[in-house]
Amino acid sequence: MTSTLDKLRAILWRDLLTAVRHRSGFAVTMAGVFTELAAFYFLSRAIGPSFRPSGIEYFPFLMVGTGVYTFFVMSAQAFLSAVQEAQQTGTLEVLMTTTTAPAELVVLSSISAFAGNLVNLLVYLFAGVAVFRAAIYANFLSCALVMILSLAIALALGIAAATLQVAFQKGSALVWLLGSGLWFLSGTMFPIQSLPRPLELLARAVPLTYAIDGMRRALLEGQPIAAMAPTLATLAGFGAVMLPLALAGLALSLRRARQNGTLSFY
Amino acid sequence: MDRVVFESVRKVFRHRPALFNWLGRERGGETVALQDICFSAARAEVLVLLGPNGSGKTTALKLISTMLLPDAGAVLVGGCDARRDAGAVRRQVGIAIAAERSFFARLSARENLDFFASLDEVPRTERTQRIKEVLRDTGLEEQADTLVMKFSSGMYQRLGIARALVKRPSVLLLDEPTRSLDAATTAHFWATIRGLARQETTVLLATHNFAEAAAVADRLLLLHRGELLANRSLGDGENAETLRSFYFRMTGEIDEMNL
Repeated sequence: MTSTLDKLRAILWRDLLTAVRHRSGFAVTMAGVFTELAAFYFLSRAIGPSFRPSGIEYFPFLMVGTGVYTFFVMSAQAFLSAVQEAQQTGTLEVLMTTTTAPAELVVLSSISAFAGNLVNLLVYLFAGVAVFRAAIYANFLSCALVMILSLAIALALGIAAATLQVAFQKGSALVWLLGSGLWFLSGTMFPIQSLPRPLELLARAVPLTYAIDGMRRALLEGQPIAAMAPTLATLAGFGAVMLPLALAGLALSLRRARQNGTLSFY
Repeated sequence: MDRVVFESVRKVFRHRPALFNWLGRERGGETVALQDICFSAARAEVLVLLGPNGSGKTTALKLISTMLLPDAGAVLVGGCDARRDAGAVRRQVGIAIAAERSFFARLSARENLDFFASLDEVPRTERTQRIKEVLRDTGLEEQADTLVMKFSSGMYQRLGIARALVKRPSVLLLDEPTRSLDAATTAHFWATIRGLARQETTVLLATHNFAEAAAVADRLLLLHRGELLANRSLGDGENAETLRSFYFRMTGEIDEMNL
């Protein structure tokens, strides 16, 4: 356990140093946060106060939807980019010869990628509340639980992207699907009830839908854990199935890559 | 007991032409990188794998490091099978490969070594001292806090060696370790290798440099097109020239320098 925490510390420190030494990166991210929030703020004003999806003001509805959605996509993208870069530089091969088991290494690395984007999400939500006056009535315990369960799903997606990258050099396909196809199926910008019935059913099979809905209810409506039990149970179910599957897929793809000598193919 | 054992190891790389390259000249097929190779390396022995490009030297090192898995046969390190017990093998092995950029560019040399030492489970209490030692041994003390993105090829190579040494492996794998090093650093490095062998480390070094082989080897494996042509000890008085003539005699290649 001490050893795992020490490795996590080393990975977090590596990623933090790399991020802060990209001097312009932080400023660009912050500029992006404010630009996006400003766009959504004025969009909600243009639509008018009468549009209240699920009984929530439209700007906070958008803020939570896009914040959680961006967290998922950017985290998977960040993790995938790290894997791709490691393949290109040859770091991946060297990492696979360290004493740390490949699966442990991948999970710890993905935690680090997600931690960075969790900070971005918190900044995004804080800026939405502090600067654009989004009304929130948070139940922080519910928020934390939704976030933890969502993290398991996000980790699984990141690991699945890494698996596709190692196996077929096509991890970007999953990120593309997340980035292009899922935003309108997951209730990011409008309630899924607005979709035609077949698409609504499809949307209910997307874990991101429950993460966004759960966060809205916890952060904007202050719902307690008991009231959110079905959503939390669904998120837990997705995580319990997706994470072991993703890890098994990764182990298989790494073994196949070591057999075929394609670990550093990209 | 032998520390590294190859038992009839075969490694084949299968390749398919890229999509839409069917109309081009690339064809599918397979490359036999190692063909039924048997050898062993003892504790405190420096074993040099000598051979031309594509002879299978790097493949052999990658099989020992568990980067690759054999198609047939077994690779044993300290009695552990590299296929079935890869974790136990990785704990014993340190590798310096030829990939110069296999570091985190925006970290310093010291930070990179600290990162890899953490993953290799070097105890925190010993880490600072060990990093200091390997930076000194590889002549990187002055560049310890320089971001590696500013390193030259030779400095990358030295850092790769430092990374392999920091975990104090019982088996050290070196792939063309002095390829980009200057003469003085090379001489110092050869002395370091001999010193490591005296401390019971088994060293496997892949090279096509006869002077390097003569300077460090206790024993020599000559690989050619995936086959083991020779496995013999180096006698007293053997030097780069005697190895050179041995190499060309065994491989049947033409030594244009001595035509």
